[in-house]
This record gives sequence, structure tokens and C-alpha cells, in this order.
Amino acid sequence: MSFLNGIAGLSLTAVVLSAQMVLADTPNGTVAERQQRRVETIAGIAPSVVCVMPPGGQGGGSGVLISADGYAISNYHVTSGSGDFMKCGLNDGKLYDAVIVGIDPTGDIALIKLLGRDDFPFCTPGDSDRVRAGDEVLALGNPFLLAADFTPTVTYGIVSGVHRYQYPAGTFLEYTDCIQIDASINPGNSGGPLFDIDGRWIGINGRASFEKRGRINSGAAYAISVRQILLFIDHLKSGRIVDHGRTDFTVGTAADGLVEVQEVSEISEAWRRGLRPGDELVAFGDRALTSANDFKTILGIFPAGIRVPLTYRNRDGVHSSTVRLLPLHGFDAAPQLPEERKPKKRPDDPDQEPDERPGSPHAEEAPAIPEQYAHLFKEKKSFANYYFNELHRDRLLNPLQDSLVSSESNKTATWSISWKSPNSGTVGELIVGAEGAGLLTGKNNWYQPIQDQHPSNEAADLWGLLSASLQWNRLFQQDLDLFSEVIYVGAESLVPSGRLVETVFIQDGAIESRWYFSGGSPLPVGVDVVMSAGQDEARIRFDDWQDTTIPSPSRIGIVDVDTEQVRWLTVDAFDVKPRAVRDNTGGREATSQ
Amino acid sequence: MAVVCVSTLWLPTATVTAESVADAEYPPVRAGQQVVVKLFGAGVGTLDSYGSGVLISKNGHVLTVWNHLVNTGFLRAVVPDGRRFRISVVGTNLEHDVAILKLATHEDETFDFIDWKTTVDVLPGDSVLAFSNMFHVATGNEPVSVVHGVVACTVPLNAGLGRWTFPVKSPVYVLDAITNNSGAAGGLLTSASGEPIGMLGREIRHRDTDMWVNYAVPLQILQPAIAAILDGRRFESTPSMDDDKSVLSDRQLTAGFGITLLPSIVETTPAYIDRIITDSVADAAGLRRGDLVLIVGDDVVRSTSDLRKRLSGFRRGQPITVTVNRNGKLEAIVLRAP
Repeated sequence: MSFLNGIAGLSLTAVVLSAQMVLADTPNGTVAERQQRRVETIAGIAPSVVCVMPPGGQGGGSGVLISADGYAISNYHVTSGSGDFMKCGLNDGKLYDAVIVGIDPTGDIALIKLLGRDDFPFCTPGDSDRVRAGDEVLALGNPFLLAADFTPTVTYGIVSGVHRYQYPAGTFLEYTDCIQIDASINPGNSGGPLFDIDGRWIGINGRASFEKRGRINSGAAYAISVRQILLFIDHLKSGRIVDHGRTDFTVGTAADGLVEVQEVSEISEAWRRGLRPGDELVAFGDRALTSANDFKTILGIFPAGIRVPLTYRNRDGVHSSTVRLLPLHGFDAAPQLPEERKPKKRPDDPDQEPDERPGSPHAEEAPAIPEQYAHLFKEKKSFANYYFNELHRDRLLNPLQDSLVSSESNKTATWSISWKSPNSGTVGELIVGAEGAGLLTGKNNWYQPIQDQHPSNEAADLWGLLSASLQWNRLFQQDLDLFSEVIYVGAESLVPSGRLVETVFIQDGAIESRWYFSGGSPLPVGVDVVMSAGQDEARIRFDDWQDTTIPSPSRIGIVDVDTEQVRWLTVDAFDVKPRAVRDNTGGREATSQ
Repeated sequence: MAVVCVSTLWLPTATVTAESVADAEYPPVRAGQQVVVKLFGAGVGTLDSYGSGVLISKNGHVLTVWNHLVNTGFLRAVVPDGRRFRISVVGTNLEHDVAILKLATHEDETFDFIDWKTTVDVLPGDSVLAFSNMFHVATGNEPVSVVHGVVACTVPLNAGLGRWTFPVKSPVYVLDAITNNSGAAGGLLTSASGEPIGMLGREIRHRDTDMWVNYAVPLQILQPAIAAILDGRRFESTPSMDDDKSVLSDRQLTAGFGITLLPSIVETTPAYIDRIITDSVADAAGLRRGDLVLIVGDDVVRSTSDLRKRLSGFRRGQPITVTVNRNGKLEAIVLRAP
């Protein structure tokens, strides 16, 4: 039909025309100059685009390299069908082996590592929070698995909307705070990068509104924002199945348009911070809220277990606090995808027909884990690849183990830590040993036994110090094997300082603690300890470690859970005594209240 | 003791680039998003329960398509700032497939709106922006979706959905952007610089190709109908816009004779019979799909419009002799005029 030919003929020129006219108010230049710039941009970003395929070579999707050592991001729904090892093609025409590192099933993100080079080309992330409707974008990937030589297909479009929320597909694949685009996105584009017109990476294309036309572009596709991905990358490097967060309160939009707290669990941290039904939630995760949808959108970008600031208003005024996000799904194995998201491998599907051209990877014989890389994968419950967790855990904690725990005398030593109160000048003393921790403040004595710990044994004005000190003592003096679990969590921003830290989670019987390390040092900058459910964490910070026999901090801080202020104690003396704690209380029984 | 420092962290703080994206919104995009409302009503069968509309007065008049959403009632609108309103039907127009709605506002409430009386001409190749709440992506105060494209051609459409035929006979803008999506009907088409130029039509397929057509009805065509509805007048189409009364419309031809012809794409589209309605006059007389009508009575028929003109000249019950070419042979068939 001439009618259709007419449309097709015109649309070839459409990209150039609309690029020029949609953004009439940007610094432009001639159409030819803009085209030249675009060509250069694409040449710059295309080398970082990955074609991700299962070892058998049938089906597959896209991805993008984020570092020279081969870390690459793709969609979970792409890698989940590809096994623990996969084949990745780059636009140099070469095929690389890759191993799964970490997965975020809810966010539909997977971190993989390409192997065999330490100089991979990689992309530069932009700030997806500054993307606006109308921005020009470039989507790169391998739609319909067209490129046998792995040269990515480029589609052009504009941003149709930002901060979009897309309900979970099936049971868990939820897109929050995503970028909606009108660039063509088709099967095979999944996991591929979205770039702004200057070539900065702003998202991962993973989903589209497929409807009456079948599974092909509909003009409405969605990219997971780079902001969300960056919040997860360092957690994904831990080899874990990374979960998203949830709160134990709910919100709705009130009649006057405000975001109103609806229900609050009475044993929750939010309740203890004073949040009640009917309060107005003003901000969450450092973003102001204008609707209940905003809340859902923002909550969705955070991993479980991190502490997030919130601001609420009640009749007494505006209050700011932080809450730790609970796990949303608690996956202990990689979850199954809903049927329709599974990569299709049927040979009778014309779109998936194996390419039989000689030399094509599509025609290659299947699986077999590459022998030289087999050690890079370790299976364990709750992990995508336990190998990477051990790697980071050992990197952080082995120096501590080697220098301290190996010394037999350290294991039985009791610490005496004393300080001056800045106001009254009175001296406080903390005594920590294997069997318990004691606190002498001049007026009252406190004692927390290692067995049968109880929050009521803590001094109100130095709350949690004893429990946290016991964990500190154990970390410095005990073999890691004696803990129930030691897991490298990933990197996050420490509250309240905002300091960038790496987190190690330690389960010690019923006690859970999260240790924070900075700059690769094995000496912690803080620890948050959960003594029992329904109780506030003991949140202790350490500052300025001294190189004594047993390293000691110059300052110990206690975070006030209500005000988020740190109360610092300046350490006068740190003594190591080979004696039991009760002997150090001068023969008196430490009182416990 | 040894302190190792090998970690490379990559968190958002590390990603701030020296050259930041300009924190600007594009005025044409912003303007379009400020005047498109989200409509919610009752779905029917596979038809959606949501749609789009364009504010055309500061008091809250909304232009949209006259589809099932309008007909089934229970209509609600969410304006761009998130306020929700009940909405009533001011008037409708069949030939242009439009409806004008009115938000149930308080007296002092005002809205951004388009000046529907002023529009610009766009030509094939011109860039356009289309705004709608396709796929119901935006809720509350979230801005509606915007897609970009060019006008591919300006042509009359022979299109419809099932038995419903797209009634607009004048040329419409066919677009290379995908606008034929759930909930997009009633959305706004603007030029690249933001001037309103049309309304996204409802989801239809082209009768020839069965393809979903991405199109918008030019505001120019809608203007008389909008004016009439706002004035409370019944809108009568002008002869130049519609076929003249001496010709049987496709609808009359189908309802009366039980014949559908090939769509009249060119002036001399041959009068092939595309479809015969079972148990109709044509069916009873023995006409078949694929017959090419050559002569009606004594007059030679050169085109589909020729045939419609001839058939309109008979009184009810009058015998009509029709000569057709069927598989290379001429056959004379007698019909009774319905």
C-alpha cells in the first residue's frame, strides 16, 4: 500500500527533525552538527554495551559495563534464565565469559562480572534525579538479538515521564521511580542502558507497556533509574540476593491532599520515634512527599536494612528521625519469574530462531562452566554467589583476625576504658570482658552479663553501650567461626554522619550487630546492635583509633535514637587487664537495674 | 597493625559530574502537561475504564472523544495538580466523535487551558508532541506522558473498530509516534513549540491494512463542533465536510442493502463488493463478496461513489437490475430496493 510506504519513508527522517525541534531551546547548531555530535556520543558509549546470553546462546538480553574490572548491570529477568555463568558480547565483536555476582529480584537488577580483562570499557553514570520529561535519550541494546557481531542497536526518543511507578509484574518485579521513554524498546533490549543525549548513563531499560500489539514497542517503556541502581550496586557486589526495604507503617493520601500516616505497628521503631496514625508524613528518604504514590516511589529505591530519614508533623510540630527498613520479601533463593517474563527458548518461536551462520555465537554448543573460572562461583542459601561475599568479608576482617585474634593473651583480656565527663569532670569507666560488661559512673554501677542480656541492664544516659561493647570485645577477640553468621552486606551511608561505610552483619546467638568500616580499614567506625526485637538499637560510634597493643579509639560516641545526636566520650585511658570484669568493680557487685 | 585500603566504593555521592544536566523544563512539554486531564469511568468489556481530555476553558470545560467512557457515566476527572472532580457531559457530536465535559467546580476555581479557537497548520514532516494518560501511567498530580514524532501525512481515514466506523471524513494527521494506546484517546497534540493542533482520536484500525492507526483530529475540524456545543446549538455539518445527501452513505448502504464496498481511497476506486451481510437484501438476491458492480439499471458504474449515487435513486420495493463481473463472467442480478 502506498499509504504505508509513505509513513515508512517519512519516519526515516523523523529522528533528525524532531531532535532539532523538540529541544529548540538547547544550545543547538545545525542539524548536521547535532547529528555529528550524536554520532560521536554513540561511538563513545557503544563499547560499554553488553549483549548477555546464556551459555547455549538462545534468547538473551542486554547489559552495560560499569567498571574496568568487568562489573556490568543487567536485568534480573535476563540473567535468571542464563545460569550462573553466561556469555557476553561486546562491540569489539568478542565474546567474554561472565559470572553472576548479585541479584535484586524486586528491582529487576542483576550484577554480573565479565572476565578475562582488567581494562573493559565502561559507562559514566549521570544523575537520574535531574532527568526531565522532554529530555532526549538514547537506548542501546540488542533488540530481537539482531546483532550477530554484538554491535548494539541504538534507538532514540524523549523522556515521557519521570518518577513513574509500575506495579509488580506477577509477584515481585516492581519498578519504582522509573523513567518512562518513547524510544523503541523491544524484547532483547532488556537490561540495556539508557543514556542522556550527552552519553551519561541514566537507567536500565527493562519493561514496556505491552498490550494489543503483542510484545513489541508500544511507545511506553520504562527504565530503572540510575539513582536506584547506584544505591544497590555495592550491596550487589556482596554476592547476596539483595532485598528491597519496607516500613512497618502505612500511608494514604488524605482528603486535603496531604500524605497521612494510616497504621503504625506498635512494636515498630517508627512508633517508638513518636509516629502515630493521623500524623502527616512530610519527607522520606530526603525527598519531600506530595502524595502517597511519592512515598511508594521513594521507598522502592532503597535496599532493606539501611537507615532512612523521615520527617513528620503532628500537633506538636515537625519531627525528624530515622528508621531502619525491614526486608520486603526475605528471599532465601532466587525467586521464579512469572511465566510471561521468562526468556523464551522455543526453537519454533520465529523471533528466537537460532542463527546458524558460521562463527555465530548463536550456533555454539551449549553449557560447560569454563574451567579456569569455576572457582568464581559458590552456591549458598540466600546468596546469588557466595564467592563474592567471602571475598569482601575476608578483605575487611582478615587483618583484624590475623593481628588480634591470633594472640592467645588477647582472648582472655579484660578492657578498662575510662573517660571524663565534659560537664562535671567526673570519671566514668567501662569494663569489658568475655563474661560481661560493667559501667561505673560514680553514682551508679551497671552490669550486663553476656548470657541473658537485657535492655534494662543499660544505663539510660549511655543506652546500649554495654551490649555494644560486648560485641566489640567479641569481634576483637573471637574467631569469626564462633559467630552464628558473618555476612558482608555492602556499602551505604552511615546515619547520622553520612559517612560512606562498608557494612558487615554479625549474628551472635540472638544478638544482631551491623559493623561499619571506612576506607578499607578493619577498625570499625561504628556498630549498631539489636539486643532484642521491639527494642531500640544500641548505636555506638568510634573515632580516631590509636595504635596500642589492642587498637583503641580516642572517642566513643553514643547515638541518641530520638535526636540522632552523637554524644562523644573522650577516652582517658584504655587498659588491658588479664582479669575478670567483676574483679575490676573493686569487690562490689555491679548493680543491675 | 596493618590497615588495608583496597575498597572502591561507588555510591551516588561519587557520581556527581562536574557538568550537570541543566535543571530546566521544556516550556512546550510543561504547557501540554498542564492542560491534559486524566479521566476515569466505567470500562466496558475490553474497553478501558480510563482516558484523557484537554481543558479548553478556564472554568473547567474538557474536550475529549465521545466514547464509552462518556456514555457510561460515573465519570471523574483528575486535573494536573491532582484535584479530583465529578464531571458532567455538556454536549456531544457524532460526526466529529467529540464530547465536551464540564468539571463540577466551585465558582472561583480556575484552570490552565488551551485556546481552542487558535491553532496552527502543520505539514507532513513537522515535529509534534502528543500528551495523554496512555496506559494510566500517571496518577494523582503526576504529569501525563509525552511522546514525540512527526506528522507523517494528512489524509482522510477509512478506519474503525469492529462495526464502529470512524466518522470524521476530513483529512486527519497521521503520526509516526505511537499514540494509538489504551487511555490515550482525548489527549492533546501540539506542535514542537507547544501550539495546540489536534486531539488524539480513539483506538481504531485501518480498514485496508488492519493496522492500528496513530492519528489526531485537527483542531480546525473540531472548532465548529466545539463552538456549537458550548453555545448549546445542535451542530449541522456543512456540505463541504460531509458527503452530499444524494449519495448513500456507507452506513446506509450496509444497513439497507447489506453491502460493504472497498474503501473509497481514490476517486475511481472500483465498485468491488467487500462484504455481504447474511440474510440481507443483497444476500437474498445472490450477490457475493468479490463481485465487481459494472452496471446498475442502464447506467455504467465507474467507482464506489458512482454506485452509491445510483443506488440512492430507487424507491423502496423497486426492482434494480445489477450487472456484475464475477470471475470474468457477467451476471445480471435483480435486487429489491430496501
